[in-house]
Amino acid sequence: MRFLLISSFLILISCKSYPLKNGFDQPTKKVQAVVNPYFSNENKDYVYKASIAVYDKSFGGVFIVKKLAPETHRIVFTTEMGNKIFDFSLYNDEFKINFILEELDKKLLINILKKDFKLLVKENIVTSEKSIQANQTLYKTNVANKKVFYKYVESQLISIHRIGGVSNKEKVNIIFSKKEEDTAKNIQILHQNIQLNITLKAIN
Amino acid sequence: MHNILGVFFLLVSLSYGQTKMQQQEIVILKAKVKEQAKQTQTIASDFIQYKHLDFLTDDIVTSGKLAFKAPDLVKWEYVKPFEYSVIFKNENLYINDEGKKSDVNLSSSKLFKKLNHLIINSVKGDMFNDNEFNIIYYKTGENSDVHFSPKNEKIAKYIKQFQILFNKKGEVQQIKMVEPSNDYTKIVFENRVLNKKISDAVFAH
Repeated sequence: MRFLLISSFLILISCKSYPLKNGFDQPTKKVQAVVNPYFSNENKDYVYKASIAVYDKSFGGVFIVKKLAPETHRIVFTTEMGNKIFDFSLYNDEFKINFILEELDKKLLINILKKDFKLLVKENIVTSEKSIQANQTLYKTNVANKKVFYKYVESQLISIHRIGGVSNKEKVNIIFSKKEEDTAKNIQILHQNIQLNITLKAIN
Repeated sequence: MHNILGVFFLLVSLSYGQTKMQQQEIVILKAKVKEQAKQTQTIASDFIQYKHLDFLTDDIVTSGKLAFKAPDLVKWEYVKPFEYSVIFKNENLYINDEGKKSDVNLSSSKLFKKLNHLIINSVKGDMFNDNEFNIIYYKTGENSDVHFSPKNEKIAKYIKQFQILFNKKGEVQQIKMVEPSNDYTKIVFENRVLNKKISDAVFAH
């Protein structure tokens, strides 16, 4: 009986919504459009020095994003010497592989990158809930049945969080820092359930 | 009809400022480059790299220094806009990525070994191997522009063509690596100094 009580208590705790877990107010339901401005300028080439840590391995390269049309981006990763590692096209929910190194042509990895990059560049987001804590606002949306939260400080997007099903635990955090106008000079894509972290530093 | 075609090709080649070399000129160039490569004990040079991706507004420009020591030590060092160096030594790549050091052993990957071998050879320019490449020779003024298309299908999947621009002395001025998509990496050498002593410490990791 005691075990049952403890486990129900644990379930209750773990079911606590993501905003409440993080000290935000009780969410209010409200449909609202928010914007991720960081890859929204078609006239700009977004070029970053990247460092990717996978398990105990780490390698670098150059990460390039270009917006080609509304909701259309091209994402390319090359070595420092210019050799392409992968080259993807994203258009709304469509995803096309233009090139990938044979060694990395693995469905599991491609799926992870696809989800990460869609989240990274998606510009216009329709959200359904909103909660507030001091000067921070958290907006909730759903992407492919997964909860995603956009965190703003005043009107500036500082992070995106993809949350796991029942547990409400963070699976992926994308953190934008050193912001200049509508560019984030530093970006981190941090996975909580697998050892994969991507760090981007703007070089242009 | 033939005349019209002739004029057309003449116009095309003029507009590129490039004509195909005669057999005699090819023999002379090859001899010059081979002799130049044989005499080269060290190369120290600055370089500017232009990464061209068709969809970008501007090429991505990076720059740094190259050090070569015969027979096969090469160090590529990027200084701007980031610090990154890679040393090709034996069958290893020694990488220093903004202070973070790592190494990659290439002995298990034939393809990467071959690609690295090509990069080392292209620095010297001595790639005149008809078994490995289909080679086309052009001249542009006093310079020679030689296009090497790898015959090996696996390599051709990554690099469709190496284009090397030689000056009249047979020294490499520029290397262009063209991908199957026609995106390319162009490396332009500047302040190239030959056979000045380079300490082994430069190639230490």
